[in-house]
Amino acid sequence: MLNLKGVFAGYGGGDILRGVDLNIEKGSITCVVGPNGAGKSTLLKVVSGLLTPRLGEVTFLGESIAGKSPQSILKGGIVQVMQARSLFPDLTVRENIELGAFLINDQKLVQKRFDEIMDQFPMVKDRLKDKAGSLSGGQQRTVEFARALMLDPALVVLDEPSMGLEPKAAASMYSYVRQMREHGRTVLLVEQNVRAGLGLATHGVVLEAGRVRLTGTGKEILENPQMKVLYLGGSTQQEDA
Amino acid sequence: MLVLQAIIEGVLVGGFYALMAAGLTLVFGVMDIVNFAIGALIVLGAYLSYSVCNHLHIDPFLSLLITTPLMTGLGMFIYVFLIKPIKTNRVVMSLLTMFAVATLIEGILDICYNSGFVQIHASYINNSLKIGKLNFPLIYVLSFLLSVFLLGCLFLITYRTKFGRSLRASMQNPVAARLVGIDTDRVSMITLGIGIGLAAIGGMVFGTTNAFNASSSYDIISRLLVIVILGGFGSVGGALVSAIFMLVIQDVVAVVWSPVWGSTTFYMILILVLLVRPQGLFGKKGVRAQ
Repeated sequence: MLNLKGVFAGYGGGDILRGVDLNIEKGSITCVVGPNGAGKSTLLKVVSGLLTPRLGEVTFLGESIAGKSPQSILKGGIVQVMQARSLFPDLTVRENIELGAFLINDQKLVQKRFDEIMDQFPMVKDRLKDKAGSLSGGQQRTVEFARALMLDPALVVLDEPSMGLEPKAAASMYSYVRQMREHGRTVLLVEQNVRAGLGLATHGVVLEAGRVRLTGTGKEILENPQMKVLYLGGSTQQEDA
Repeated sequence: MLVLQAIIEGVLVGGFYALMAAGLTLVFGVMDIVNFAIGALIVLGAYLSYSVCNHLHIDPFLSLLITTPLMTGLGMFIYVFLIKPIKTNRVVMSLLTMFAVATLIEGILDICYNSGFVQIHASYINNSLKIGKLNFPLIYVLSFLLSVFLLGCLFLITYRTKFGRSLRASMQNPVAARLVGIDTDRVSMITLGIGIGLAAIGGMVFGTTNAFNASSSYDIISRLLVIVILGGFGSVGGALVSAIFMLVIQDVVAVVWSPVWGSTTFYMILILVLLVRPQGLFGKKGVRAQ
Protein backbone atom coordinates (compact mmCIF):
# COMPACT_ATOMS: atom_id res chain seq x y z
CA MET A 1 0.00 0.00 0.00
CA LEU A 2 2.73 2.44 1.06
CA ASN A 3 6.26 1.90 -0.21
CA LEU A 4 9.44 3.75 0.56
CA LYS A 5 12.54 2.96 -1.49
CA GLY A 6 15.98 4.37 -0.71
CA VAL A 7 14.58 7.45 1.04
CA PHE A 8 17.06 10.08 2.22
CA ALA A 9 15.65 13.10 4.07
CA GLY A 10 16.70 15.68 6.64
CA TYR A 11 16.37 19.29 7.72
CA GLY A 12 19.33 20.97 6.05
CA GLY A 13 21.96 19.88 8.54
CA GLY A 14 22.52 16.45 6.98
CA ASP A 15 20.26 13.47 6.36
CA ILE A 16 18.27 11.94 9.20
CA LEU A 17 16.88 9.16 7.02
CA ARG A 18 19.69 7.41 5.17
CA GLY A 19 18.21 5.03 2.66
CA VAL A 20 14.98 3.82 4.20
CA ASP A 21 13.22 0.91 2.47
CA LEU A 22 9.79 0.08 3.83
CA ASN A 23 6.61 -1.63 2.73
CA ILE A 24 3.35 -1.09 4.61
CA GLU A 25 0.70 -3.69 3.87
CA LYS A 26 -2.96 -2.84 3.50
CA GLY A 27 -5.00 -3.48 6.64
CA SER A 28 -1.94 -3.72 8.88
CA ILE A 29 -0.90 -1.89 11.99
CA THR A 30 2.79 -1.16 11.54
CA CYS A 31 4.69 0.12 14.54
CA VAL A 32 8.04 1.86 14.02
CA VAL A 33 10.34 1.81 17.02
CA GLY A 34 13.87 2.94 17.60
CA PRO A 35 16.06 5.07 19.85
CA ASN A 36 15.81 8.85 19.98
CA GLY A 37 17.19 10.42 16.82
CA ALA A 38 16.64 7.26 14.76
CA GLY A 39 14.42 9.23 12.38
CA LYS A 40 10.98 7.92 13.38
CA SER A 41 9.17 11.28 13.31
CA THR A 42 11.13 12.33 10.21
CA LEU A 43 9.85 9.21 8.46
CA LEU A 44 6.25 10.17 9.27
CA LYS A 45 6.84 13.73 8.06
CA VAL A 46 8.02 12.39 4.71
CA VAL A 47 4.87 10.25 4.44
CA SER A 48 2.51 13.13 5.31
CA GLY A 49 4.25 15.65 3.04
CA LEU A 50 5.64 17.93 5.76
CA LEU A 51 9.14 17.06 4.57
CA THR A 52 10.31 16.46 1.01
CA PRO A 53 12.79 13.60 0.67
CA ARG A 54 16.15 14.52 -0.87
CA LEU A 55 16.38 11.18 -2.65
CA GLY A 56 14.28 8.07 -3.06
CA GLU A 57 10.76 7.04 -3.92
CA VAL A 58 7.60 7.19 -1.84
CA THR A 59 4.50 5.63 -3.41
CA PHE A 60 1.01 5.23 -2.03
CA LEU A 61 -1.42 2.92 -3.84
CA GLY A 62 0.99 2.93 -6.75
CA GLU A 63 1.24 6.72 -7.07
CA SER A 64 4.31 8.74 -6.23
CA ILE A 65 3.71 11.11 -3.31
CA ALA A 66 7.28 12.25 -2.65
CA GLY A 67 7.41 16.05 -2.54
CA LYS A 68 3.63 16.49 -2.75
CA SER A 69 1.99 19.02 -0.43
CA PRO A 70 0.28 17.81 2.78
CA GLN A 71 -2.98 18.96 1.20
CA SER A 72 -2.70 16.67 -1.83
CA ILE A 73 -1.46 13.77 0.30
CA LEU A 74 -4.53 14.23 2.53
CA LYS A 75 -6.73 14.15 -0.55
CA GLY A 76 -5.02 10.90 -1.51
CA GLY A 77 -6.13 9.29 1.75
CA ILE A 78 -3.27 9.68 4.26
CA VAL A 79 -3.98 11.50 7.52
CA GLN A 80 -1.40 12.21 10.22
CA VAL A 81 -1.97 12.86 13.90
CA MET A 82 0.99 14.81 15.24
CA GLN A 83 3.15 13.88 18.22
CA ALA A 84 2.55 17.00 20.30
CA ARG A 85 -0.97 18.14 21.04
CA SER A 86 -2.23 19.26 17.68
CA LEU A 87 -5.66 20.66 18.43
CA PHE A 88 -6.50 24.33 18.00
CA PRO A 89 -6.98 25.20 21.68
CA ASP A 90 -9.19 28.27 21.27
CA LEU A 91 -11.52 26.58 18.82
CA THR A 92 -14.38 24.44 20.13
CA VAL A 93 -14.25 20.65 19.96
CA ARG A 94 -16.88 20.75 17.19
CA GLU A 95 -14.84 23.27 15.17
CA ASN A 96 -11.72 21.14 15.61
CA ILE A 97 -13.45 17.99 14.38
CA GLU A 98 -15.12 19.77 11.47
CA LEU A 99 -11.71 21.08 10.42
CA GLY A 100 -10.79 17.45 9.81
CA ALA A 101 -13.12 17.68 6.80
CA PHE A 102 -11.70 21.01 5.64
CA LEU A 103 -11.09 19.62 2.16
CA ILE A 104 -14.67 18.41 1.71
CA ASN A 105 -17.04 20.98 0.22
CA ASP A 106 -20.17 18.80 0.38
CA GLN A 107 -21.77 19.86 3.67
CA LYS A 108 -24.14 16.87 3.71
CA LEU A 109 -21.18 14.51 3.53
CA VAL A 110 -19.42 16.45 6.30
CA GLN A 111 -22.52 16.13 8.51
CA LYS A 112 -22.81 12.39 7.73
CA ARG A 113 -19.17 11.81 8.66
CA PHE A 114 -19.58 13.94 11.77
CA ASP A 115 -22.55 11.83 12.93
CA GLU A 116 -20.60 8.61 12.32
CA ILE A 117 -17.65 9.95 14.29
CA MET A 118 -19.93 10.91 17.18
CA ASP A 119 -21.13 7.30 17.35
CA GLN A 120 -17.54 6.06 17.47
CA PHE A 121 -16.37 8.55 20.10
CA PRO A 122 -19.25 9.15 22.56
CA MET A 123 -17.01 11.14 24.92
CA VAL A 124 -16.57 13.80 22.27
CA LYS A 125 -20.32 14.25 21.90
CA ASP A 126 -20.64 15.66 25.43
CA ARG A 127 -17.88 18.24 24.97
CA LEU A 128 -18.66 19.67 21.53
CA LYS A 129 -19.15 23.24 22.74
CA ASP A 130 -16.08 23.29 25.00
CA LYS A 131 -12.82 24.88 23.94
CA ALA A 132 -10.43 22.11 22.92
CA GLY A 133 -7.74 23.57 25.17
CA SER A 134 -9.89 22.87 28.24
CA LEU A 135 -9.85 19.08 27.72
CA SER A 136 -7.53 16.63 29.48
CA GLY A 137 -4.62 15.07 27.57
CA GLY A 138 -6.51 11.84 26.89
CA GLN A 139 -9.64 13.68 25.77
CA GLN A 140 -7.57 15.87 23.45
CA ARG A 141 -6.00 12.77 21.90
CA THR A 142 -9.50 11.31 21.39
CA VAL A 143 -10.61 14.50 19.60
CA GLU A 144 -7.46 14.34 17.44
CA PHE A 145 -8.37 10.76 16.46
CA ALA A 146 -11.95 11.80 15.75
CA ARG A 147 -10.74 14.70 13.59
CA ALA A 148 -8.36 12.44 11.69
CA LEU A 149 -11.19 10.11 10.69
CA MET A 150 -13.39 12.87 9.20
CA LEU A 151 -11.72 12.40 5.81
CA ASP A 152 -12.31 8.63 5.97
CA PRO A 153 -8.60 7.98 5.33
CA ALA A 154 -7.18 4.73 4.02
CA LEU A 155 -3.94 5.21 6.00
CA VAL A 156 -3.74 6.81 9.45
CA VAL A 157 -0.30 7.93 10.58
CA LEU A 158 0.08 8.32 14.34
CA ASP A 159 3.11 9.89 15.97
CA GLU A 160 3.44 8.56 19.52
CA PRO A 161 -0.27 8.35 20.34
CA SER A 162 0.33 7.44 23.99
CA MET A 163 2.84 10.21 24.71
CA GLY A 164 2.07 12.07 27.93
CA LEU A 165 -0.99 9.97 28.73
CA GLU A 166 -1.66 8.08 31.96
CA PRO A 167 -1.93 4.27 31.48
CA LYS A 168 -5.75 4.15 31.34
CA ALA A 169 -5.94 6.89 28.70
CA ALA A 170 -3.11 5.23 26.75
CA ALA A 171 -5.02 1.92 26.81
CA SER A 172 -8.06 3.74 25.34
CA MET A 173 -5.89 5.12 22.55
CA TYR A 174 -4.62 1.63 21.72
CA SER A 175 -8.18 0.32 21.58
CA TYR A 176 -9.07 3.16 19.17
CA VAL A 177 -6.11 2.10 17.01
CA ARG A 178 -7.43 -1.50 16.94
CA GLN A 179 -10.88 -0.17 16.01
CA MET A 180 -9.36 1.73 13.10
CA ARG A 181 -7.98 -1.52 11.73
CA GLU A 182 -11.31 -3.29 12.30
CA HIS A 183 -12.91 -0.56 10.18
CA GLY A 184 -10.55 -1.47 7.34
CA ARG A 185 -7.97 1.25 7.80
CA THR A 186 -4.23 0.79 7.69
CA VAL A 187 -2.27 2.31 10.57
CA LEU A 188 1.36 3.40 10.66
CA LEU A 189 2.47 4.47 14.10
CA VAL A 190 5.60 5.50 15.91
CA GLU A 191 5.68 4.56 19.56
CA GLN A 192 8.18 5.15 22.37
CA ASN A 193 6.49 2.51 24.50
CA VAL A 194 8.08 -0.34 22.58
CA ARG A 195 6.26 -3.23 24.27
CA ALA A 196 2.84 -1.66 24.00
CA GLY A 197 3.38 -0.48 20.43
CA LEU A 198 4.74 -3.79 19.10
CA GLY A 199 2.17 -5.73 21.16
CA LEU A 200 -0.55 -3.82 19.34
CA ALA A 201 1.01 -4.03 15.88
CA THR A 202 0.71 -6.69 13.22
CA HIS A 203 4.07 -5.57 11.83
CA GLY A 204 7.10 -4.02 13.46
CA VAL A 205 9.98 -1.98 12.10
CA VAL A 206 13.13 -1.08 13.98
CA LEU A 207 14.76 2.08 12.80
CA GLU A 208 18.30 2.93 13.81
CA ALA A 209 20.45 5.85 12.66
CA GLY A 210 18.10 6.54 9.76
CA ARG A 211 18.06 2.99 8.41
CA VAL A 212 15.71 0.04 8.81
CA ARG A 213 17.48 -2.44 11.07
CA LEU A 214 14.80 -5.11 11.60
CA THR A 215 11.37 -5.92 10.21
CA GLY A 216 8.88 -8.65 11.03
CA THR A 217 5.65 -9.21 12.84
CA GLY A 218 5.19 -7.30 16.08
CA LYS A 219 5.75 -10.52 18.04
CA GLU A 220 8.89 -11.45 16.11
CA ILE A 221 10.43 -8.07 16.73
CA LEU A 222 9.57 -8.17 20.42
CA GLU A 223 11.14 -11.60 20.78
CA ASN A 224 14.24 -10.86 18.72
CA PRO A 225 17.27 -11.22 21.03
CA GLN A 226 19.02 -8.27 19.38
CA MET A 227 15.97 -6.15 20.08
CA LYS A 228 15.86 -7.17 23.73
CA VAL A 229 19.42 -6.05 24.29
CA LEU A 230 19.31 -2.91 22.18
CA TYR A 231 15.92 -1.40 22.93
CA LEU A 232 14.49 -3.09 25.99
CA GLY A 233 17.58 -2.57 28.09
CA GLY A 234 17.93 -6.31 28.66
CA SER A 235 14.87 -6.27 30.92
CA THR A 236 13.24 -9.13 29.05
CA GLN A 237 16.34 -11.23 29.64
CA GLN A 238 15.99 -10.59 33.35
CA GLU A 239 12.33 -11.53 33.15
CA ASP A 240 13.25 -14.68 31.24
CA ALA A 241 15.84 -15.51 33.86
CA MET B 1 -17.47 68.80 30.09
CA LEU B 2 -13.97 69.09 28.63
CA VAL B 3 -13.08 65.69 30.06
CA LEU B 4 -16.19 64.12 28.51
CA GLN B 5 -15.29 65.74 25.19
CA ALA B 6 -11.75 64.34 25.50
CA ILE B 7 -13.03 60.84 26.32
CA ILE B 8 -15.38 60.76 23.33
CA GLU B 9 -12.73 62.16 21.00
CA GLY B 10 -10.31 59.53 22.32
CA VAL B 11 -12.82 56.81 21.46
CA LEU B 12 -13.42 58.29 17.98
CA VAL B 13 -9.73 58.49 17.08
CA GLY B 14 -9.08 55.18 18.89
CA GLY B 15 -11.36 53.46 16.36
CA PHE B 16 -8.91 54.26 13.56
CA TYR B 17 -5.94 52.96 15.54
CA ALA B 18 -7.94 49.88 16.57
CA LEU B 19 -8.56 49.04 12.91
CA MET B 20 -4.90 49.43 11.99
CA ALA B 21 -3.76 47.49 15.06
CA ALA B 22 -6.23 44.68 14.24
CA GLY B 23 -4.58 44.31 10.82
CA LEU B 24 -1.12 44.35 12.38
CA THR B 25 -1.97 41.78 15.03
CA LEU B 26 -3.70 39.43 12.53
CA VAL B 27 -0.60 39.44 10.35
CA PHE B 28 1.54 38.72 13.41
CA GLY B 29 -0.81 35.96 14.55
CA VAL B 30 -0.74 34.11 11.23
CA MET B 31 2.79 34.79 9.99
CA ASP B 32 4.71 35.38 13.21
CA ILE B 33 6.15 38.60 11.83
CA VAL B 34 5.78 42.18 12.92
CA ASN B 35 4.83 44.22 9.88
CA PHE B 36 7.30 47.04 10.40
CA ALA B 37 6.20 48.56 7.11
CA ILE B 38 2.68 49.31 8.37
CA GLY B 39 3.48 52.98 9.13
CA ALA B 40 4.94 53.53 5.65
CA LEU B 41 2.05 51.64 4.07
CA ILE B 42 -0.50 53.84 5.87
CA VAL B 43 1.33 56.93 4.58
CA LEU B 44 1.36 55.33 1.11
CA GLY B 45 -2.41 54.84 1.46
CA ALA B 46 -2.75 58.49 2.45
CA TYR B 47 -0.77 59.64 -0.61
CA LEU B 48 -2.75 57.35 -2.92
CA SER B 49 -6.05 58.78 -1.63
CA TYR B 50 -4.57 62.29 -1.90
CA SER B 51 -3.63 61.69 -5.55
CA VAL B 52 -6.91 60.01 -6.49
CA CYS B 53 -8.94 62.81 -4.86
CA ASN B 54 -6.87 65.52 -6.58
CA HIS B 55 -6.90 63.94 -10.03
CA LEU B 56 -10.40 62.50 -10.17
CA HIS B 57 -12.01 65.12 -7.91
CA ILE B 58 -13.86 62.54 -5.86
CA ASP B 59 -14.65 62.23 -2.19
CA PRO B 60 -11.86 60.74 0.00
CA PHE B 61 -14.18 57.94 1.12
CA LEU B 62 -14.90 57.06 -2.52
CA SER B 63 -11.16 57.01 -3.26
CA LEU B 64 -11.02 53.88 -1.10
CA LEU B 65 -12.75 51.95 -3.86
CA ILE B 66 -9.56 52.40 -5.88
CA THR B 67 -6.86 52.46 -3.21
CA THR B 68 -8.03 49.52 -1.08
CA PRO B 69 -7.90 46.88 -3.87
CA LEU B 70 -4.56 48.32 -5.00
CA MET B 71 -3.06 48.06 -1.53
CA THR B 72 -4.57 44.60 -0.95
CA GLY B 73 -2.88 43.49 -4.18
CA LEU B 74 0.37 45.04 -2.99
CA GLY B 75 0.11 43.06 0.27
CA MET B 76 -0.36 39.81 -1.64
CA PHE B 77 2.52 40.73 -3.95
CA ILE B 78 4.80 41.36 -0.95
CA TYR B 79 3.88 37.97 0.49
CA VAL B 80 4.34 35.98 -2.73
CA PHE B 81 7.55 37.62 -3.92
CA LEU B 82 9.29 38.76 -0.73
CA ILE B 83 8.09 36.74 2.28
CA LYS B 84 7.22 33.31 0.90
CA PRO B 85 10.62 32.70 -0.74
CA ILE B 86 12.36 33.08 2.64
CA LYS B 87 13.20 29.53 3.67
CA THR B 88 15.51 29.91 6.64
CA ASN B 89 15.41 32.11 9.75
CA ARG B 90 12.04 33.31 8.52
CA VAL B 91 11.04 35.46 11.51
CA VAL B 92 14.16 37.63 11.51
CA MET B 93 14.46 37.77 7.72
CA SER B 94 10.78 38.76 7.37
CA LEU B 95 11.30 41.58 9.86
CA LEU B 96 14.25 42.85 7.84
CA THR B 97 12.29 42.49 4.60
CA MET B 98 9.39 44.55 5.94
CA PHE B 99 11.85 47.15 7.20
CA ALA B 100 13.36 47.28 3.70
CA VAL B 101 9.86 47.66 2.21
CA ALA B 102 9.19 50.59 4.58
CA THR B 103 12.44 52.30 3.63
CA LEU B 104 11.77 51.76 -0.07
CA ILE B 105 8.23 53.18 0.17
CA GLU B 106 9.44 56.20 2.12
CA GLY B 107 12.16 56.86 -0.44
CA ILE B 108 9.80 56.58 -3.40
CA LEU B 109 7.20 58.84 -1.74
CA ASP B 110 9.91 61.37 -0.95
CA ILE B 111 10.94 61.46 -4.62
CA CYS B 112 7.37 61.57 -5.98
CA TYR B 113 5.84 64.07 -3.55
CA ASN B 114 8.86 65.94 -2.11
CA SER B 115 9.03 66.31 1.66
CA GLY B 116 6.45 69.07 2.05
CA PHE B 117 3.35 68.40 4.16
CA VAL B 118 0.03 67.80 2.39
CA GLN B 119 -3.48 66.99 3.57
CA ILE B 120 -6.47 65.35 1.89
CA HIS B 121 -9.29 67.83 1.50
CA ALA B 122 -13.04 67.53 1.27
CA SER B 123 -15.81 70.09 1.68
CA TYR B 124 -16.84 68.73 5.08
CA ILE B 125 -13.38 68.26 6.63
CA ASN B 126 -13.77 71.28 8.90
CA ASN B 127 -17.45 70.65 9.78
CA SER B 128 -18.47 69.60 13.26
CA LEU B 129 -21.22 67.49 14.71
CA LYS B 130 -22.88 69.16 17.67
CA ILE B 131 -24.40 66.98 20.39
CA GLY B 132 -25.67 69.08 23.30
CA LYS B 133 -22.79 71.30 24.32
CA LEU B 134 -20.23 69.02 22.76
CA ASN B 135 -18.68 69.49 19.31
CA PHE B 136 -17.04 66.69 17.37
CA PRO B 137 -15.15 67.05 14.08
CA LEU B 138 -17.36 65.36 11.48
CA ILE B 139 -14.40 63.59 9.84
CA TYR B 140 -13.59 61.91 13.19
CA VAL B 141 -17.17 60.68 13.50
CA LEU B 142 -17.27 59.38 9.90
CA SER B 143 -13.88 57.70 10.29
CA PHE B 144 -15.00 56.10 13.53
CA LEU B 145 -18.18 54.76 11.91
CA LEU B 146 -16.15 53.38 9.00
CA SER B 147 -13.70 51.75 11.42
CA VAL B 148 -16.54 50.16 13.43
CA PHE B 149 -18.13 48.86 10.22
CA LEU B 150 -14.85 47.38 8.98
CA LEU B 151 -14.03 45.86 12.37
CA GLY B 152 -17.48 44.25 12.28
CA CYS B 153 -16.70 42.85 8.81
CA LEU B 154 -13.35 41.59 10.08
CA PHE B 155 -15.11 39.89 12.99
CA LEU B 156 -17.62 38.22 10.67
CA ILE B 157 -14.87 37.05 8.32
CA THR B 158 -12.84 35.66 11.22
CA TYR B 159 -15.64 33.93 13.13
CA ARG B 160 -18.34 33.13 10.59
CA THR B 161 -16.53 31.97 7.44
CA LYS B 162 -14.53 28.94 6.39
CA PHE B 163 -11.59 31.22 5.63
CA GLY B 164 -11.88 32.68 9.14
CA ARG B 165 -11.74 29.22 10.66
CA SER B 166 -8.63 28.41 8.65
CA LEU B 167 -7.17 31.77 9.71
CA ARG B 168 -7.73 31.06 13.40
CA ALA B 169 -6.40 27.52 13.02
CA SER B 170 -3.26 28.83 11.28
CA MET B 171 -2.76 31.36 14.07
CA GLN B 172 -2.96 28.70 16.77
CA ASN B 173 -1.03 25.83 15.22
CA PRO B 174 0.31 26.26 11.68
CA VAL B 175 1.73 22.74 11.33
CA ALA B 176 -1.50 21.09 12.49
CA ALA B 177 -3.37 23.44 10.15
CA ARG B 178 -1.34 22.11 7.21
CA LEU B 179 -2.06 18.54 8.33
CA VAL B 180 -5.83 19.10 8.09
CA GLY B 181 -5.42 20.45 4.57
CA ILE B 182 -5.30 24.21 5.16
CA ASP B 183 -3.08 25.98 2.66
CA THR B 184 -1.29 28.17 5.19
CA ASP B 185 0.59 30.02 2.43
CA ARG B 186 -2.73 31.08 0.91
CA VAL B 187 -4.04 32.10 4.35
CA SER B 188 -0.88 34.16 4.95
CA MET B 189 -1.13 35.81 1.54
CA ILE B 190 -4.77 36.81 2.06
CA THR B 191 -4.11 37.96 5.62
CA LEU B 192 -1.23 40.21 4.57
CA GLY B 193 -3.47 41.46 1.75
CA ILE B 194 -6.21 42.31 4.27
CA GLY B 195 -3.72 43.90 6.68
CA ILE B 196 -2.26 46.13 3.97
CA GLY B 197 -5.69 46.78 2.43
CA LEU B 198 -6.71 48.15 5.82
CA ALA B 199 -3.65 50.42 5.65
CA ALA B 200 -5.22 52.06 2.58
CA ILE B 201 -8.30 52.90 4.65
CA GLY B 202 -6.18 53.98 7.60
CA GLY B 203 -4.12 56.14 5.28
CA MET B 204 -7.18 57.97 4.01
CA VAL B 205 -8.39 58.61 7.57
CA PHE B 206 -4.91 59.70 8.66
CA GLY B 207 -4.52 61.95 5.63
CA THR B 208 -7.83 63.73 6.18
CA THR B 209 -7.23 64.34 9.88
CA ASN B 210 -3.51 65.20 9.73
CA ALA B 211 -1.06 67.00 7.48
CA PHE B 212 1.52 64.41 6.47
CA ASN B 213 4.69 63.76 4.52
CA ALA B 214 6.72 60.64 3.76
CA SER B 215 8.32 60.67 7.21
CA SER B 216 5.00 60.67 9.09
CA SER B 217 5.16 56.88 9.30
CA TYR B 218 7.42 56.83 12.38
CA ASP B 219 4.83 58.31 14.72
CA ILE B 220 2.18 55.88 13.41
CA ILE B 221 4.31 52.75 13.70
CA SER B 222 5.46 53.59 17.23
CA ARG B 223 1.88 54.13 18.39
CA LEU B 224 0.61 50.99 16.69
CA LEU B 225 3.37 48.85 18.13
CA VAL B 226 2.63 50.18 21.60
CA ILE B 227 -1.09 49.39 21.13
CA VAL B 228 -0.41 45.87 19.89
CA ILE B 229 2.13 45.17 22.66
CA LEU B 230 -0.25 46.43 25.34
CA GLY B 231 -3.16 44.44 23.92
CA GLY B 232 -1.04 41.32 23.50
CA PHE B 233 0.49 40.33 20.17
CA GLY B 234 -1.95 38.17 18.21
CA SER B 235 -5.05 39.32 20.12
CA VAL B 236 -7.48 41.31 17.97
CA GLY B 237 -9.74 42.07 20.95
CA GLY B 238 -6.70 43.23 22.92
CA ALA B 239 -5.73 45.59 20.09
CA LEU B 240 -9.20 47.16 20.09
CA VAL B 241 -9.35 47.72 23.84
CA SER B 242 -5.77 48.92 23.97
CA ALA B 243 -6.25 51.40 21.10
CA ILE B 244 -9.30 53.01 22.69
CA PHE B 245 -7.61 52.98 26.12
CA MET B 246 -4.46 54.65 24.78
CA LEU B 247 -6.23 57.44 22.94
CA VAL B 248 -8.65 58.16 25.79
CA ILE B 249 -5.83 58.32 28.35
CA GLN B 250 -3.81 60.54 26.05
CA ASP B 251 -6.68 62.96 25.40
CA VAL B 252 -7.88 63.13 29.00
CA VAL B 253 -4.39 63.73 30.39
CA ALA B 254 -3.83 66.38 27.72
CA VAL B 255 -6.98 68.21 28.85
CA VAL B 256 -6.70 67.94 32.64
CA TRP B 257 -2.92 68.18 32.89
CA SER B 258 -0.85 69.03 29.85
CA PRO B 259 -0.65 67.85 26.22
CA VAL B 260 3.05 67.13 26.83
CA TRP B 261 2.10 64.47 29.39
CA GLY B 262 -0.56 62.84 27.22
CA SER B 263 1.63 60.28 25.48
CA THR B 264 4.11 60.06 28.37
CA THR B 265 1.40 58.90 30.78
CA PHE B 266 0.32 56.22 28.37
CA TYR B 267 3.85 54.91 27.96
CA MET B 268 4.21 54.83 31.75
CA ILE B 269 1.03 52.76 32.01
CA LEU B 270 2.37 50.48 29.30
CA ILE B 271 5.56 49.84 31.28
CA LEU B 272 3.56 49.13 34.46
CA VAL B 273 1.25 46.69 32.64
CA LEU B 274 4.18 44.88 31.02
CA LEU B 275 5.90 44.51 34.40
CA VAL B 276 2.84 42.69 35.72
CA ARG B 277 1.72 40.97 32.47
CA PRO B 278 4.64 40.70 30.03
CA GLN B 279 2.33 39.09 27.45
CA GLY B 280 0.13 42.21 27.40
CA LEU B 281 -3.46 42.61 28.60
CA PHE B 282 -5.02 39.90 26.43
CA GLY B 283 -2.01 37.97 25.12
CA LYS B 284 -1.41 34.37 26.09
CA LYS B 285 1.85 32.77 27.11
CA GLY B 286 3.00 30.22 24.55
CA VAL B 287 -0.29 30.31 22.68
CA ARG B 288 1.24 28.80 19.59
CA ALA B 289 2.18 25.15 19.44
CA GLN B 290 4.99 25.70 16.97
